[in-house]
Amino acid sequence: MTAQAVPASAEVSDRLKGKRAIRSYARKLADPEEITSLNITPMMDMMTIILVFLLKTFTSSALLVNQDQNMMLPTSTSRLNAKQAIAVTVTKRVVLVDGEPVAPINSGKIDPALKRDGDNGYYITPLVEILSRVARKEKKVAEMTGQKFDGELTIVADRYTPYRLLTEILYSCGQAEYANYRLLILKGRE
Amino acid sequence: MTRRQVRARMRRMREHFDEAQEETVEINLVPYMDIVTNIIIFLLASVVNQVPLGTVNASSPTFGGAGGGGEEEKPALNLTVTVGSSGFTLAGSGGVMPPIPKLPTGDYDYGALTTKLTEVKNQFKEETKATFNADGGTAYEIVVKTLDAMREDKDGHMLFPDIVFAAGIL
Repeated sequence: MTAQAVPASAEVSDRLKGKRAIRSYARKLADPEEITSLNITPMMDMMTIILVFLLKTFTSSALLVNQDQNMMLPTSTSRLNAKQAIAVTVTKRVVLVDGEPVAPINSGKIDPALKRDGDNGYYITPLVEILSRVARKEKKVAEMTGQKFDGELTIVADRYTPYRLLTEILYSCGQAEYANYRLLILKGRE
Repeated sequence: MTRRQVRARMRRMREHFDEAQEETVEINLVPYMDIVTNIIIFLLASVVNQVPLGTVNASSPTFGGAGGGGEEEKPALNLTVTVGSSGFTLAGSGGVMPPIPKLPTGDYDYGALTTKLTEVKNQFKEETKATFNADGGTAYEIVVKTLDAMREDKDGHMLFPDIVFAAGIL
């Protein structure tokens, strides 16, 4: 009797151990103690919002100017903010209209061949031609939208540009009906 | 329950669990996260390096007919500030004022120019226009600083904000 009872209790004990092991394994599968992956969806939402906000900020900024050794803006105490307008850029080497090169500059002077009246002239022919074309387009747009053509443009010039060259540029802009200038500057005192 | 039975049961559970996991599989967002993070860092760095830009308004001289009359017109001031190689010269309808020489350091005396223009402004309170002229070799930087000195005084009071570039140069 006792001899038979011993193997029976051993069998029960084995079964119980097996069941316990299975239960423990099932618990481990259902609720792993180690975190295998993080839920990054809320973080993604947040980052996407930040990205959209930053991109919006960038696209709404009026002008982006790359400053280098050929193009250093002067500083000013003016508090007026830059506005979107046709930009005439004067670097140490070239005159550009909205990023398109128009006339080269050598030692602070425009090549006399590009001026209607030669060396002493103020009329820079390629600049007037391009700006006249732009003015015609702007006038058409203004007419279609029922607005007035304001003849405004932004002058982005290097801080060492001589006044003579600046006057030539302003005169040429005036000939293309752009008579109101916004001189782009860096805000602040030196 | 024998060892083999326990192992078989565990294997079945594992298979069942893996199948359930596969059914609820998520898109791997980590590469997308990497891209977005890089773009955000780049944009933030660009914002930090962005310089505050502003403008100084000026215009070309315009020609217009005389007024229709009627009201008695005040005499025009026709203030002109000229930047020469030795300093500033102020002129108006009344004549030419004594020149403002450069400082001993060789810099232009913007403070003295503002002081002189404040005196003029006190006599012609309604006047806002001034004409600017300069020597051909004057650097654009000096032009802008002179326009600053003409526009407002140290306390921020407006002097002559409507600046017109003279036709031609010295």
